[in-house]
Amino acid sequence: MPGARVIAEHVTRAYGASVVLDDVSFVVEPGELIALTGASGSGKTTLLQLLGSLDRPTSGSIIVGDTAVHRLSRPARFRRETVGFVFQLHHLLPTLTVSQNVQLPLVAAGVRRRERSRRALELLGEVGLADRDRALPGDLSGGERQRVAIARALAGEPQLLLADEPTGALDSVASERVWRLLVAARERHGTTVIVASHDSMLAEHADRGLSLVDGRLVSGSSDGGAGEEAA
Amino acid sequence: MTALFAPLSSLRRRPGRTLLTALGTALGIATIVALLAVAGGAEHAAGEFYSLGASDLGLFQKAAADPTTSVLSTTLIPKLRRTPGIADATPLLLLVGEVSRAPGAIVFGADPSGFLTQRLVFSSGRMLTSRRQIVVGDQLARQLHLAVGDTLRVHGRPLTVVGIYHIGVAYQDQGAFVDMPLAQSIAGMDGETTTIAVKLGVTERPAAAKRTIAQRFPGLTVIADAQEATRAGANAQLVSNAALVIAVLALLIGGIGVINTMLMSVVERRSEFALLSAVGWSRWQVAGRVLVEGVVTTVIGAAIGLPVGVLGADWLVSELGAQEFVAPRTTAWGLGRGLLVGVLIGVLGGLYPAWRAARVSPAQALAQG
Ligand SMILES: Nc1ncnc2c1ncn2[C@@H]1O[C@H](COP(=O)(O)OP(=O)(O)OP(=O)(O)O)[C@@H](O)[C@H]1O
Ligand SMILES: [Mg+2]
Repeated sequence: MPGARVIAEHVTRAYGASVVLDDVSFVVEPGELIALTGASGSGKTTLLQLLGSLDRPTSGSIIVGDTAVHRLSRPARFRRETVGFVFQLHHLLPTLTVSQNVQLPLVAAGVRRRERSRRALELLGEVGLADRDRALPGDLSGGERQRVAIARALAGEPQLLLADEPTGALDSVASERVWRLLVAARERHGTTVIVASHDSMLAEHADRGLSLVDGRLVSGSSDGGAGEEAA
Repeated sequence: MTALFAPLSSLRRRPGRTLLTALGTALGIATIVALLAVAGGAEHAAGEFYSLGASDLGLFQKAAADPTTSVLSTTLIPKLRRTPGIADATPLLLLVGEVSRAPGAIVFGADPSGFLTQRLVFSSGRMLTSRRQIVVGDQLARQLHLAVGDTLRVHGRPLTVVGIYHIGVAYQDQGAFVDMPLAQSIAGMDGETTTIAVKLGVTERPAAAKRTIAQRFPGLTVIADAQEATRAGANAQLVSNAALVIAVLALLIGGIGVINTMLMSVVERRSEFALLSAVGWSRWQVAGRVLVEGVVTTVIGAAIGLPVGVLGADWLVSELGAQEFVAPRTTAWGLGRGLLVGVLIGVLGGLYPAWRAARVSPAQALAQG
C-alpha cells in the first residue's frame, strides 16, 4: 500500500478562546518520514489527532490521499483503511492477548478469523514478537508493548502512520528498535510516517522536520532539523 | 461480527464486577420466576377451589369476590333439583379461619347425606351423624396429630373427631367437614349457604346446563372448570395482577441495576472504547460490543436466578403461611419468561451504556491516557 500525500491548509484548532493550532499549512509527500517537534503544549498531539480524524479542525482543511478528512462525518472507515496510530502510551487493551490486540483493526474491517490470526502472527514476526502472541500486555515490557502497538498500527496496511512520542517512555535500546520499525514500515511499504517526538534520535531517521511553537509552524526545513528540544 | 470478538475477555478479567452485575440481574429474574410460580399456584388453587368435580357445577352469588363471601339462600336447592338436566344439588358453606390451631384450614358445612360428602373416603372412622361431630382431612389430621376420638375446637366449640378422610383435592384434605346447621350457626347464616354444588344428569352437557341455570337463576355465577373459576374469582385475579405489577417492578429494578453497573464499567473503560474507535471501529461496532457484554452478563445472571427463583417461590409461600392454599407451580413457560426477561434486562440495560460507549471522543479519552 503506497503512502498518502498529506495536505494541511490553514488548519486552526481552538478550545474556546485558546488557540492551540494557529493557521498551520504544509504538504507531506507520499513515503516521507516527518519529524514533528515542538515544546510540550505546542500542539503536536492535537495536530496528529486532526490528521488522523480523531478530532476536527475549527477551520481549515486536511486532505489525506483523496480523503477530505476535515469533512468526514463517519470517520471509522477512513481510520481503519488509511491511518495507523501509535500512541505515547501503547494503549493495548489489557484483557485481550497480544495477538487479539493486533487484530483489532482487522476485526473492524470484517476480516475472517483465520486470516486475522495469520496476519497478526506475520506482523508480530515483523516486530520480533511472534512467540508472544498469546501473552497478555501486562506480561510484556514497555518496549515490547510499544512494538505490539506498531504491529497493530500496521495491521490495516495504512497509507499514513501517525506516531505520538512512540519512544517517550522507553530507554535508548528499546527506542532504537522502535525507530527501526518505523523506518522499516516506510522502506517496505512506502507508508507516509509522521512522528511527534522530543527524542533526539528522531532527527537521525527523519527526512525532514516540522516544528511547532505555540501552535504555529515555524520551519518546514528539509534538513531534518528538529526544532526545540524542550521538555 | 465485531461484537462477538472475544466478548468474554473483559468479563473474564473482571470477575468480581461481572458477578455483581450478574447477581443484580439474578435477583430480578429470581423475583419474577418466584412470583410467576406463586401466582400460577394461586390461580391453580383458586381453580380447584371453585371446581367441585368433573361432572359438577359450582354455584355462587354473582357479586361475591371469592367463594367465602358468597351468600345464597338454601331455598334455591329444591328449585334447582326440579330443573331439567340437574340430577342433584347440595349446599356447601365455607368457614375460613375458624380452627385456631390451623388458621389456613377451611371447614366445610355440608349435608352428611348429600352427594359431596358421599365421595369422602374414610381411612379411619366414619361419616359424622350429629352437630357435635367433625370429620377431618388426612393432611390436617397429620398436621394436628388428630385421631378418631380426639377433640377439635372450631370457633371455640369442642367437636369429636369421628372420621379421617382422603378425597385427593388439596384444600379439602387440608380441611374438615361439619354438619350444615352447625356451620350456619357459626357463620350466622341461618337458612343460607355460600355455595351450592350441582350434579348434572349423565347425559347433560355442562355448557347446556349452564345456560339453563343462567336463564332461570340470574343472580348466580356458574363455574364449570378451573380456568373459568380463575376468571370469576376476584381475589385470584388480584393475586395475578399483583404478581404482574411486582414482576414489572423487578424488571425495572434489575434493569436499573444492570444500567448502573454497566455504565460504571463503560466510564471506567472510556480509553478502551476510544482506542477501538481510533483503530477504526464504527459506533455501531463499539455499541454492539457493549450490548453483547450486557447480554452475556445477564444470561449468567439468569443461570443463577432461575433456580433461586424456583426455591424462592417455596420460601415465599411458607413465609406467607399459605402452604395450605398454594403449591407454587413452576412451568417451563414461567422459566422461559424469566429467561426472556433476563435477556430483555440485558439488552435494555445495555442500551444506554452502549450509546455512551459509542460516543466516547477518541481524542479526549486517549489524551488522558
Ligand atoms: N480538550 C482540550 N481542551 C482545552 N485545551 C486543550 C485540550 N486538549 C489540548 N489542549 C491544549 O492544547 C495545547 C496543545 O496540547 P497538545 O497535547 O497538542 O500539546 P503537545 O505538543 O502534544 O504537548 P506534549 O509534548 O506535552 O505532548 C495545550 O496547551 C493543551 O493544554
Ligand atoms: Mg502530546
